[in-house]
Amino acid sequence: MTNWRVMTVDDSAAILTIIAAYLEDSEFDVVAAERDGRSAVERFAEIKPDIVLLDLIMPGQSGVETLSRILAIDPDAFVVIVSSLGTEEAVHECLTTGARSFLQKPFTRDDFIEFMRDLTKVA
Amino acid sequence: MGAMFFGQYLLSKGIIDRDALIDGIERQRKTNLSLTALAVRRGYLTMKQEEAILLRYRTSEADLEELCLQSGLMDREQLDELLRIQRSDWVRIGSALVAGGHLTREGVVEQLAEFHDSQREVDQELEANFKACRDPETVKTVVELAVFHLGRLSDRPIKLQTFGEDTGALVDGRRRFAQKLVGDREFFVALDLDPAMAATVAEGLIGMPLEAGSEAAIDAVCECVNIIGGNACTRLEALGLKLRPEPPFSTEGNELADGSRSIVRAEVIAGEAEMDVRVFL
Repeated sequence: MTNWRVMTVDDSAAILTIIAAYLEDSEFDVVAAERDGRSAVERFAEIKPDIVLLDLIMPGQSGVETLSRILAIDPDAFVVIVSSLGTEEAVHECLTTGARSFLQKPFTRDDFIEFMRDLTKVA
Repeated sequence: MGAMFFGQYLLSKGIIDRDALIDGIERQRKTNLSLTALAVRRGYLTMKQEEAILLRYRTSEADLEELCLQSGLMDREQLDELLRIQRSDWVRIGSALVAGGHLTREGVVEQLAEFHDSQREVDQELEANFKACRDPETVKTVVELAVFHLGRLSDRPIKLQTFGEDTGALVDGRRRFAQKLVGDREFFVALDLDPAMAATVAEGLIGMPLEAGSEAAIDAVCECVNIIGGNACTRLEALGLKLRPEPPFSTEGNELADGSRSIVRAEVIAGEAEMDVRVFL
């Protein structure tokens, strides 16, 4: 079976590095890593990844706005929010906008891989 | 007098000198081994496996014992054996100073009693200062989260030393890593760190060496502030406050102090390093 193609979007290079390291040698390939919402939308249209891991709090275009734009391109896009903000209000807004799931930072490698594997059961 | 470790207390009171404290700490370092270091010594882990467990420890809220078991490299019996060895070999700073001939056992007992009395007063003063500041619940939540995450990422014993209002001026040589939280309240949370401590925190987050002052280190500490700010919003929601964080940033200037009505400064010690956690209200 081919690996899952993952795009990560976060203004923090640190988080992009951590996620890439956690997914190394797994059944997930990071095919794109973007640091802002606008370029993430463009990249998504080009490569149509299986899973998008999207930060919520970013300068310029926010995570929720980026989520809406990605879903406008592909309503079936599988977008997951990865954020340090885990308020009920934020989770509700993201899920009603169309995010499939929500992971709060910080997380361990084991938690992250388990979360990703659970995602693939419904993706 | 602020909160401090016993060794620092002895130094500040002139009971021991700097060389004695260094000697005491070095004696502790030789004998006080972490669980994973003991496991390497007993042959239960390789150094590479230890490194992998410590990386997970720094990016996790789980304790080291739990992570050792989860790794599948050690069983409960081996872990219990290591805990027994660790407890029996562990040397406190007072004993290390006695072993080095810097203090008598009676002297340590006497000084410890005075130290505990002074620390009780410090704790009461810190609590009173929290209550006295503007919006104490918000400030306490932010400071507690900052102290927790700084301790976890730096992998050093961490303690809140002093707490109170001040001008918000950045100490020379430090950089400010900050984030604005908006909504029912509007305030900034900031970490003021020197380049070495910033690199330590950044390395704890990413799990790889970073050059002090590099863009990667600055970015990683900004993410650390983002985690503190985001987690604070989540925790304060339980108190009925609706908040959201804006993107974190870094500065070497004092611009945050200019527009604030009230600024609290929490001086924190992590091992031998000092830093500030600030809330600009």
